[in-house]
Amino acid sequence: MAYGMLIDLSKCMGCRGCQVACKQWNDLPGEQTTLGSDFTNPQKRSAYTWTTIEWLTTEVDGRTVSTFTKTGCLHCLQPACESVCIAGAIHKQDNGAVTIDHDKCIGCRYCQLGCPFGVPKYEYDQVVPRMQKCNLCYSRIEAGLEPACAATCPNDAILFGERDELLALAKERIAAGNGRYVDHVYGEHEAGGTSVMYISHVPLDLTTLNTNVTTEAVPSFTWKAMRQLPALVGSAAVLSLGLLAYSNRRARLEAEQRGGGAQ
Amino acid sequence: MTNHWVDYQNTDVFMVIGTNPAENHPISMRWINRAREKRGAKLIVVDPKFNRTAALADLYVPLRPGTDIAFLGGLMNYAMANGRYFHEYVAKYTNASFLIHPDYKFEDGLFSGAKVGEDGQVTYDTTTWQYQLDEEGNYKKDPTLQDPQCVFQLMKKHYSRYTPEMVAETCGMSVAQFLEVAELFTSTGRPDRAGNIMYAMGITQSSHGSQNVRAVAMLQLLLGNIGVPGGGVNAHRGESNVQGSTDMALLWNNLPGYLPMTTAAAHPTLAAYNATTPKSGYWTNRPKFIASLLKAWWGEHATPENDFCYEYLPKVDGRDHSHMSIFEAMGRGELKGLFAWGQNFAVGGPNVAKERSALANLEWMVVADLFETETAAFWKGPGMNPAEIQTEVFLLPAAASYEKCGTITNSGRLIQWRDKAVEPMGEAHDDLWIADRLFRKLRELYVAEGGAFPDPIVKLHWDYDDGSGHPSAEKVAFEINGYTWADRQGVTTFANLKDDGSTVCGCWIYAGYFADFENPKCRSRVKDEPGTGLGSHLGWGWAWPVNRRILYNRCSVDENGQPWDPERPLFRWDGEKFIAQDVPDFTATNPPEVSAKNPFIMMAEGVGGLWSPSGMKDGPIPEHYEPVESPFANKLNRRQFNPVAIISGKGEFGQLTPPSDPNFPYICTTYRVTEHWQSGAMTRSLPWLGEMMPDMFVEISPSLAAKLGVKGGDRVEVTTARGSLVAPAMVTPRMRPVLVHGRETEIVGMPWHWGYMGMFTGASANVLTPHVGDANTQIPEYKAFLCNVRKAGGSGPVRG
Repeated sequence: MAYGMLIDLSKCMGCRGCQVACKQWNDLPGEQTTLGSDFTNPQKRSAYTWTTIEWLTTEVDGRTVSTFTKTGCLHCLQPACESVCIAGAIHKQDNGAVTIDHDKCIGCRYCQLGCPFGVPKYEYDQVVPRMQKCNLCYSRIEAGLEPACAATCPNDAILFGERDELLALAKERIAAGNGRYVDHVYGEHEAGGTSVMYISHVPLDLTTLNTNVTTEAVPSFTWKAMRQLPALVGSAAVLSLGLLAYSNRRARLEAEQRGGGAQ
Repeated sequence: MTNHWVDYQNTDVFMVIGTNPAENHPISMRWINRAREKRGAKLIVVDPKFNRTAALADLYVPLRPGTDIAFLGGLMNYAMANGRYFHEYVAKYTNASFLIHPDYKFEDGLFSGAKVGEDGQVTYDTTTWQYQLDEEGNYKKDPTLQDPQCVFQLMKKHYSRYTPEMVAETCGMSVAQFLEVAELFTSTGRPDRAGNIMYAMGITQSSHGSQNVRAVAMLQLLLGNIGVPGGGVNAHRGESNVQGSTDMALLWNNLPGYLPMTTAAAHPTLAAYNATTPKSGYWTNRPKFIASLLKAWWGEHATPENDFCYEYLPKVDGRDHSHMSIFEAMGRGELKGLFAWGQNFAVGGPNVAKERSALANLEWMVVADLFETETAAFWKGPGMNPAEIQTEVFLLPAAASYEKCGTITNSGRLIQWRDKAVEPMGEAHDDLWIADRLFRKLRELYVAEGGAFPDPIVKLHWDYDDGSGHPSAEKVAFEINGYTWADRQGVTTFANLKDDGSTVCGCWIYAGYFADFENPKCRSRVKDEPGTGLGSHLGWGWAWPVNRRILYNRCSVDENGQPWDPERPLFRWDGEKFIAQDVPDFTATNPPEVSAKNPFIMMAEGVGGLWSPSGMKDGPIPEHYEPVESPFANKLNRRQFNPVAIISGKGEFGQLTPPSDPNFPYICTTYRVTEHWQSGAMTRSLPWLGEMMPDMFVEISPSLAAKLGVKGGDRVEVTTARGSLVAPAMVTPRMRPVLVHGRETEIVGMPWHWGYMGMFTGASANVLTPHVGDANTQIPEYKAFLCNVRKAGGSGPVRG
């Protein structure tokens, strides 16, 4: 069972039940915050805030538009974080969740640098800091429950299920929606495909989703380079050996020419 | 509400006015969304602010605070003028055909019968508002609805002034916007379409709030949306159990079950009280309810011979004892002591700085609450000098909702029993325990020392002990439910209550919710089979009255008992009986032609009240008046604001800004957000909520911000005749000026959740609000008043 979530932004009313449910289930502390320019708070995710609803309030053609975007780990199919983790702490599980094993994490923050969505966050205030992010409520889904956010959402804006089924459902909804939805499933291809996907009733630039992300799996970029290594190393080895052989042979020939005499 | 939450899935068009379900009743959006997905329902939001509900709406229309009657009257005019009302329903199920007194008129902003007092306040003699009767005493009617004196024609004439242009320029929306709403919402004036109007404090918290509600009800009657699945006049209650509180007579002018309160002048005896019983409609049974109530309270002492101890029941002295009156009396030093029981009026009351000061005149105050609230610590408030305050304050720690058992009654009249999940912390106790201890001590003192009139306390029937010295919520519930005195069997319906002292009932509308001690109906949690039915779920909890989910549901079928909409058959007469999905609000054993004559059994007339001959102090039908503080002269009639509104007058609380005062040019309004609740007594001490909404703020439009030279986060000072506050501005296109009577007028909005106690502190919006109230309910006008705003210097939150 490879699970995922489908977030239907047309149903989100910004109640933030999901934001609180995540805090409660994961026993995360409240952060010191201050009023922002809109209602988004905490204004950025952190090691202690794994999901937020981000407000975007603007005017389009003289009409006010207000959207609410749920942010958090997208649980990529081929996560950059897993690929760069030098401690082998990050793992894309069979059930779809991308988890960080805190017994192995050394807090090097490579995953924070590698993630195109800015998801993993550092425990700045801890003496032994580790990386934190949404883990798709791993223990809940293993126990047959939904993630806390999905279970809480009053409007079923957050659906939990098999990723493939949710992708099909998303496309059905768009097709049957009579123009209600933008014809795009965010996460079908972004970063090579993610387990947490979005559909939207407004153009994506009216949400806070990152629309500037590659459609190739991020590890595939390093793979392009890494893939050359055997050939490169092999060629370098062959070249070096060749040079050595040539150099040795020249030395031997020079020595022979100076008169077969004493060495 | 007349319908219920789950029924929202059956609606075709929602109109949200003066309520904000996405923010304040988020679960309701689930059912609204279901209607949108399954039936293509449309959501209209009418509000001064583009709130979170508006963000999801199909149609959002701005509305100047306080102009709901202009808007709703405009919709009534549109419906009547264009024939977009449900003809058969109006003719047969409402009093549209009834003839009104020939001398009735409306002129210069006053209804006939107006008596203007010295202070300019008006009282009405309602003689000319009454129905015409024939020689036999029957109502005179014109079933064709043509007679100029019939209710329908009087309404048509009255609201003919509410043209789309008049509505647009009064309310601040465009004519096109008004017509778009009118067309969409009046499309439900047909048998096969149901319209649902939801409202809350935006409608009620006005000097004409009760007439606002009347306007909602009248529009729904015209469209045939009352008593049908997906329809209704649906109040979104402001607290999770305020419905239960008002059912149990929290209000000063009620007895439980909305029986009229006894007054000393009019009801000196039980006979005098019973003489005021309506002569027709289900209220004719009132003597049974009052007798059963008195028997509940005085038990074996209450006998027919002594009128069931009627003389022990307190009687109102003819004065107003609503919230504002209590504080004005406190301000004059007339009150010695006060209980603030789960109430934080030091944040929630109007003109709150004055109300806080008034508390200092008390000798003592008892506060029962979960936290040390602003009320409990009023002497710590801004401007207070504890050295000058003599009040002795007792703070009783109270248990939270999960630390006690009992029922909660939601907006849909649904009563659900809740178990106790955890023990209260420290020495906190549930309210029942506190009340029980208080009573027992009082009784002990009265027995030992006597007093002026000890019997009403000493002889109270108080049989709640659960065997361990703790009062049992179940025993209280059983008494509220009612039982027969002789054999202590629970009554299952108020139809079995008697006026002879043989039955007990603490609240007649609750009869049936807890008849079975072991297995009370309010505990049951049985859902209907998924995919079947209209969502009545009669096995889930228990709704008053008698588990009926949709009130006035006789109106869902025609004279022959056939549902107006076969797709939503709440009832259907099959020739011999009614096939029912709800508890009938009519005698279902009668053939349909019989019950068709009495679809509104609680009304004396038996039909829906478009016209209200004697229920309202300020008019038989609503008329637009400006809020008491307004930047505009009333253009619809010659009276500026509701002539019967409660105005504080001179004295401590009476600071008011005259209309169109240039020193206070902006309209101010207050509201709530999802993240905090009421006065913030609980939510401003919860880190997960405070981190989302840490600080008080003022929402202003980009145009007002530009005018003030202010950007988001800069501090602004908002001032009214009552006081001022400083808070950071949130500059947002959610707020926009409205074009009213040719003038762009800015609206300033703010949440009222903050105070000086708790983890997350800030200014209280209610330092700005006026001590003026509705003519019938005395509810304060929190939603529309005048202010000025200026840049205060500095930026960021103001805490403390």
